[in-house]
Amino acid sequence: MSVAKHFSRKYLREEVLPTPFCPGCFNGVVMNAMFKAMEELGIEDLRNFVFVSGIGCSSWIPNPLIRADSLHTLHGRAVAVATGVKLANPRLNVVVIGGDGDLVAIGGNHLLHAARRNMDLLVVMVNNMVYAMTRGQLAPTTPLGFRTATTPYGNFEPPINVAKLLINTNANYVARWCVSNFHKLKQSFKEALSEVSKGFRFIEVVAPCITYVVRYEGKTPGQKIKELREACVEVKSISEIDDVERRGKIAVGVFKKELKPGYVELYESYASRAREASQK
Amino acid sequence: MVRALLSGNEAVAEGALAAGCNFFAGYPITPSSEIMHYMARELPKRGGSFIQAEDELAAINMVIGASWAGARAMTATSGPGFSLMQEGLGYAIMTETPLVIVNVMRAGPATGQATKAAQGDLMQARWGRHGDQMIPVLAPSSPQEAYDLTIEAFAIAEELRTPVVVLSDEFIAHGREVVELREKVEIPSRRKPRDPSEPPFGSPDPRIAPPMPPLGEGYYVIVTGSTHNEYGYRDVHSFETHFRLVKRLVDKIRLNVDKLFRYEVLGDDDAEVAIVCFGSVSRSAKQALRMLRSRGVRAKLLRLVTLWPMNDEVVRRELRSAKTIVVPEMNLGQLIYDVQRLAREDSRIVAVNKVGGGIPIYPSEIVEAALGGSR
Amino acid sequence: MRSIAFLGRGGQGIVFAGEVIAETLFEQGLYVAQLQSYGAEVRGGSVLSYVVFDRDRVENPFIESFSLAIVLHEAGMRRWMKHLEGSDLVILDELVSAELRNAVKLPISRVCVEKGVLGRENVVAIGVIAASGVLDPSVVERVLSRKRGFEKNIEALKLGLELGRDVADRVAAVLRL
Ligand SMILES: Cc1ncc(C[n+]2csc(CCOP(=O)(O)OP(=O)(O)O)c2C)c(N)n1
Ligand SMILES: [Mg+2]
Repeated sequence: MSVAKHFSRKYLREEVLPTPFCPGCFNGVVMNAMFKAMEELGIEDLRNFVFVSGIGCSSWIPNPLIRADSLHTLHGRAVAVATGVKLANPRLNVVVIGGDGDLVAIGGNHLLHAARRNMDLLVVMVNNMVYAMTRGQLAPTTPLGFRTATTPYGNFEPPINVAKLLINTNANYVARWCVSNFHKLKQSFKEALSEVSKGFRFIEVVAPCITYVVRYEGKTPGQKIKELREACVEVKSISEIDDVERRGKIAVGVFKKELKPGYVELYESYASRAREASQK
Repeated sequence: MVRALLSGNEAVAEGALAAGCNFFAGYPITPSSEIMHYMARELPKRGGSFIQAEDELAAINMVIGASWAGARAMTATSGPGFSLMQEGLGYAIMTETPLVIVNVMRAGPATGQATKAAQGDLMQARWGRHGDQMIPVLAPSSPQEAYDLTIEAFAIAEELRTPVVVLSDEFIAHGREVVELREKVEIPSRRKPRDPSEPPFGSPDPRIAPPMPPLGEGYYVIVTGSTHNEYGYRDVHSFETHFRLVKRLVDKIRLNVDKLFRYEVLGDDDAEVAIVCFGSVSRSAKQALRMLRSRGVRAKLLRLVTLWPMNDEVVRRELRSAKTIVVPEMNLGQLIYDVQRLAREDSRIVAVNKVGGGIPIYPSEIVEAALGGSR
Repeated sequence: MRSIAFLGRGGQGIVFAGEVIAETLFEQGLYVAQLQSYGAEVRGGSVLSYVVFDRDRVENPFIESFSLAIVLHEAGMRRWMKHLEGSDLVILDELVSAELRNAVKLPISRVCVEKGVLGRENVVAIGVIAASGVLDPSVVERVLSRKRGFEKNIEALKLGLELGRDVADRVAAVLRL
């Protein structure tokens, strides 16, 4: 009997499986949603893709797992490296995958400025609500009251709402989904890789750390998924976000979708102005 | 050949462009900014990319990304920015990423005297990264050399797949002198693997850099700053993989010392007095050498153009006859450690240390140190 | 090897003067090195700018005295007193109250006021040097034509050429290679 290969296999390096993640880790859901989107888009191989990540559990998603060029960079610097890659070879699809600590704490400045520039990158932030790799410290996304290794009496620092913050930049695309919204998450990947394939695209995936969040809470992955499903409320317009969050729920959805020219296009017209100016 | 009147910063930019630099990312900082301004003006119209980064962390990392995507990439900065770029440089070393970084030295630490020349970053240029590492450091002493050594830096970077530091200073950067520009500069492109089976991170001969697969050409290269085997797969546990990797990376530079080590010797072979120097101070030192010799002192000057790796043999040989060795530096004593290590045991080593205020070390101060007591 | 220095305070175009001299000598086929040094702050602080020139490459630009130094304001002097004392010739604007054995005074600033080229003391000073023949006035003009304020600068240059006539021999003696 022949078994059909799982759709994700063609995008993975078989030789490095199994993944390095904890059993039940939601990073697999993020990967699968992305791969499913790619498959549905008819992307056969990833030779025109470059994956860039920083340091953290989620930064291990692409490197070395994904069968593609990938750069596993310093903690926090993935967006900067990705910017260099994109500008030096604009033909490439550059995807950044990273953690909430990596992209928002130590690398927050790069994230903000890449969004300001509408840099032609897809940035996927796996929001697991903690620093997982370094054993569960406070992240800028950790909810209030949450106990972590560095907030043993409960977090008192209000968390940052990254997706909401990025709505107010030049980013072309901003979405947030939970791992419980597999289908919608996949749709967002599809949008960000085809329909809105230029400019800065940001997808936040709420994926609580299985070890330092879910297990701490005494829950199973299945229970957590169920809980997330109930907590997520899809908004149709950004004006609903605050209301949803006031009710203690997680607002998900596509918060922003525009087709403004990305940095590469703007730079090219700037460069042609430069050439004209120098001919005069 | 074209002759131009250029500042050291302009000469660096001209050198970079002559060497085929087509990517620059930087963050403004005195006294290096003119390099950035020049590239901002030139690169867009020549089909290259220029970007003003949000900080130096971004700048060096953008340069790394661009280099992997096939660009000849550089950045330029000064002390505070150089400090911020150290982690990125370490990553470039570990991933064997060719790039050129210019550090125009000013007086530090911290903001120090932002507009004043200094040479306090010698040790940082050599040792600024954590872990075991080695990268070439080249020190120009004039705008002409800033031009020539920037070209050289690109050639070394490409050949050895390494970051290369050009260590300039504010005097060179803002002083204008006559620079002879070359008609044409050919720098061989980095070698690509013959096929995906050729390892991009391993080499049987440590003196030869492995081939570098550019992104987007189907090599499916795995680049990581973590310890990795010759195909790029992470191995963060085994002794063998780590030791083999860092040893090869250090040997790549260390064992190429004959090729990398540039120096200048002037004066008497059997000198009693030797002056050892680098960078802009060498200019005063040369005049001091002439002054000493015109007074009948047998004297020589050893100027290090390559500050790292160090050719101990050459320095030892050149200092063999010297009873007095003067080491003028615009810092509180860094190059002197090499001299202390490599000079004859019975030699008298005299430091001339002066930094701040934009006041250079003058020839008379070097002469006085050579003839008189220690300061 | 010879050298020309300008000393003054920020805002007097001291660096500009160094640039013009360097470019002129360069276009006359010489090797030059042009450096500058600022005091505490650019506006109002002391500024020194100087050019070293030679038939061959300049060995050392970090010189300890000048062949010729022109002082346009006292602010520029104190820090460089040793340099000035050791220089071959110093030209002081007549408003500078210092006394130096190797100095002559010229009414550079007064000429600027009287002839309506206020703030061009730097270019008048260049004219004074050019009167010696060491700088070719037509090359100076060409260099100035590439810079801002050309017309006023040419006026100032002419005034300087005239003013420099009396000291032309002494200037030539210290600057001729
Ligand atoms: C400069 C630097 N500081 C600290 C670290 C240690 N470090 C590694 S991963 C990490 C946090 C990762 O958290 P996050 O980005 O949220 O990723 P996760 O593991 O949660 O997926 C830290 C602090 C580092 N590698 N580099
Ligand atoms: Mg995290």
